[in-house]
Amino acid sequence: MSNELLLETIEVSKRFGEFVALKSANIEVRAGKVLGFVGSNGAGKSTLIRVITGAHAPSSGTVKVRGKVVEKADPALMRSLGIACIYQHSSLVSTLSVIDNIFLGRQIRNRFGLVNGKAQRKRLQEVMTQFEITVDPDEEVGRLTPVSQKEVEILKALVASADVILMDEPTAWLSLSEVKTLHATIRKLSAAGKGVVYISHVLDEVFEICNDITILRDGTMIWTGPEEDIDRPKLVNLMVGEALGEASRAAMTAERHPRGTGEVRLATKGLTKNGVFHDISFEAYAGEILCFAGLIGSRRSEVVKCLFGDDKPSSGEILSEGKAIRFKSPSAAIASGICLVPEDRHAEGLCLQHSTLENIVIPSLETLSQKSILNRQSMAEMCDRQIKGLNILPPDPHKVVGRMSGGNQQKVLLGKWIEKNPKVLILDEPTVGVDVGAKAEIYATIRKLRDTGTAVIVVSSDLEEVMTLADRILVFNKGRITSTFDGGEVDNDTLIQAIGGEEVA
Amino acid sequence: MPNKLFKHIPNAGLIFFFVLLTSFFCLFANNFSTSMNAENILAGYSFIAIIALGQMFPITARGIDLSTGSIVALAGMVIYDCMLIFELSGWVSIGLGILAATLAGALNGILIVRFNLQPFVATLATLAGYRGLVYAISGRQLYPELATTPLRDPAVKALNEFYDIGSWTGLDQFFQTPWIPVSFFVLLGVMIALFVLLTLSPYGTALKATGGNYEAARLAGLPVRTITISAYAMSGLLAGIGAVLLVSRLTTSTESLGIGMELTAIAAAVIGGTRLQGGKGNVLGPVLGAFLLGIILVGLTLMGISQFVQQMLTGGILLAAVGYDSFRTRKQA
Repeated sequence: MSNELLLETIEVSKRFGEFVALKSANIEVRAGKVLGFVGSNGAGKSTLIRVITGAHAPSSGTVKVRGKVVEKADPALMRSLGIACIYQHSSLVSTLSVIDNIFLGRQIRNRFGLVNGKAQRKRLQEVMTQFEITVDPDEEVGRLTPVSQKEVEILKALVASADVILMDEPTAWLSLSEVKTLHATIRKLSAAGKGVVYISHVLDEVFEICNDITILRDGTMIWTGPEEDIDRPKLVNLMVGEALGEASRAAMTAERHPRGTGEVRLATKGLTKNGVFHDISFEAYAGEILCFAGLIGSRRSEVVKCLFGDDKPSSGEILSEGKAIRFKSPSAAIASGICLVPEDRHAEGLCLQHSTLENIVIPSLETLSQKSILNRQSMAEMCDRQIKGLNILPPDPHKVVGRMSGGNQQKVLLGKWIEKNPKVLILDEPTVGVDVGAKAEIYATIRKLRDTGTAVIVVSSDLEEVMTLADRILVFNKGRITSTFDGGEVDNDTLIQAIGGEEVA
Repeated sequence: MPNKLFKHIPNAGLIFFFVLLTSFFCLFANNFSTSMNAENILAGYSFIAIIALGQMFPITARGIDLSTGSIVALAGMVIYDCMLIFELSGWVSIGLGILAATLAGALNGILIVRFNLQPFVATLATLAGYRGLVYAISGRQLYPELATTPLRDPAVKALNEFYDIGSWTGLDQFFQTPWIPVSFFVLLGVMIALFVLLTLSPYGTALKATGGNYEAARLAGLPVRTITISAYAMSGLLAGIGAVLLVSRLTTSTESLGIGMELTAIAAAVIGGTRLQGGKGNVLGPVLGAFLLGIILVGLTLMGISQFVQQMLTGGILLAAVGYDSFRTRKQA
């Protein structure tokens, strides 16, 4: 194999004002190799991709393609130099056919300026034969399986003569067998001398497909080298950082809810959604904080959606206070005292154009009205109570939520459910994008809720958070619960190993 | 295999329904299967089919054009004024009418792109605006003495001719053939031109991509803003051509010309399989949709069914078409 250096970045940094998103990144993409990027959210992966594709100009440093320095990169220029990117969300037009998508914006024309369908078909056939990818060119893209759609995007890149193909979370929407198909295709690409950059949260996949791995944390490349030189625990440790140690020491001293005592608020028995998660059985007790730990993509949010009645499991039982229930909708779950603070607060949690007051009262409209007329005064009182109780800043009931900081938005979201006095409160990634101060306040609120007897379930990918909060920890791995720990008794390394996917007794 | 073949004929379901309904009326409606009736339907709905084809463009670009009816009136009134007040020659007047309609359509597109307006709102505003403009420039108001003067220009006459194709080809020896109106030939010409534009030229794919996934189209380097404007300009242009045929048929124009026609056009386009969520449209569909609406209206009238029932049935068919479309979309997802 030629092993030619296709793309490199030299000491590339990117600053947004004061904030340094990327520091001195040096990467090398070689022909026939797959380079993996790993790192938590906000580690700088997306920034690096944007610099490589020309969407961001680097603040300093240079990008070289085939040894030549690229001056004034922009997306069109990088594309013409053979750098293609396949984003997590499809950039295909689902109503068009495969062939129309592949040649979109660069159709082959005949001398009358019309589309030369024959030439396009011939070119596509050549590429499909060369890389052994088969798709029906006339099929409508919307009718294809997710993995075929990824292959169409790969074909689109290949037809445009791309040498380096970046794939950002390409398997996010794929099932396990589809991932295998995609990996087979990626191997064909590297066998044909293309350079591939593979970005994924799923460590299994990274170890499976990548030749080299680069770990990013807080905008810095903290480790880079061949895949053989690193094992899973070391990689996870590098990804999440050393701060963990401190958090876990502090957690040791905190008082924990004794395991398995008290009343069972919510339980599942063998809850399964085919192809997504399997055999999920757990019990959440009144007055405890139960953490669902795991990597992104370990299907915790999907389980939580089923608990909240937003999705239907294929089999298994959900038990609310001992009785088997099957929620048809979130409103049924709320009526039974189960509330969810969703992961994506902008898309699923808040009405961003509305005020703090309006957001807080939404689930309580019925209790706030007398004879179907809203009681303005009780609304104002409710809002005031939460603003004071949670220290929402600014303390203005009419402040538009969309203009508040992430931490305060999250507090509004919490306040809206606290008013419902939930029996079970589920929080999905409660502190993503929340600053340290607000984080501590949110933790305190969560503990206070626990102490008043609420069963709290926290889904978190942040180990520090899990160590700080949890009375009990369930570790999720690819849609299964693989181990259970007591909050005060587990140490970092054991938890890291468990999350990384190694069996722990 | 038959299933695959079926899939590659667009509107196969619609064609089937069209044939079924035609056969039904031929059997049960008096005087439906006469050449006279065929002439009426062809002359009465060819221009609607052209306007529906125009409507297909904004809908394919994930928009809508509610001002079509007002644009028809605008084109009609420009032609009327040019011929009767300025006494320009027929073809020049017609050209100016179509030009006015195209500009009005392009202005819709510019409003939508430049000011980032919802197509529904922008064209609702111009629906009222253009209609007001028609009243303002109306030769009937400015020169009341002209109000009863019909348009007698040779161009207008030529566009309202019927040709006895049956006797030229000798087909009328076998059965009674309808005389074909010029407007139908215009429709065929428009269909051929649009087929080349939508299926053979890169523009068609670009338009569907803009409606199907705006962001993807933009990232593929397509001039999405220009394409959006062009879609509304096409809607205006075809509404203008429709207006020319309508005015020639009526030999006059009025301020209320084409009121409500946008709804017929939207209905025809949607029945013809133009996806309201954008990204999909073809040349045959809206034409079939327009003639389907025509056949239903004429057929039911000939069967002596009351007008109210006719309107209810038309609404039902529209619901069925949109419902079928959303059913199909959901099945794919």
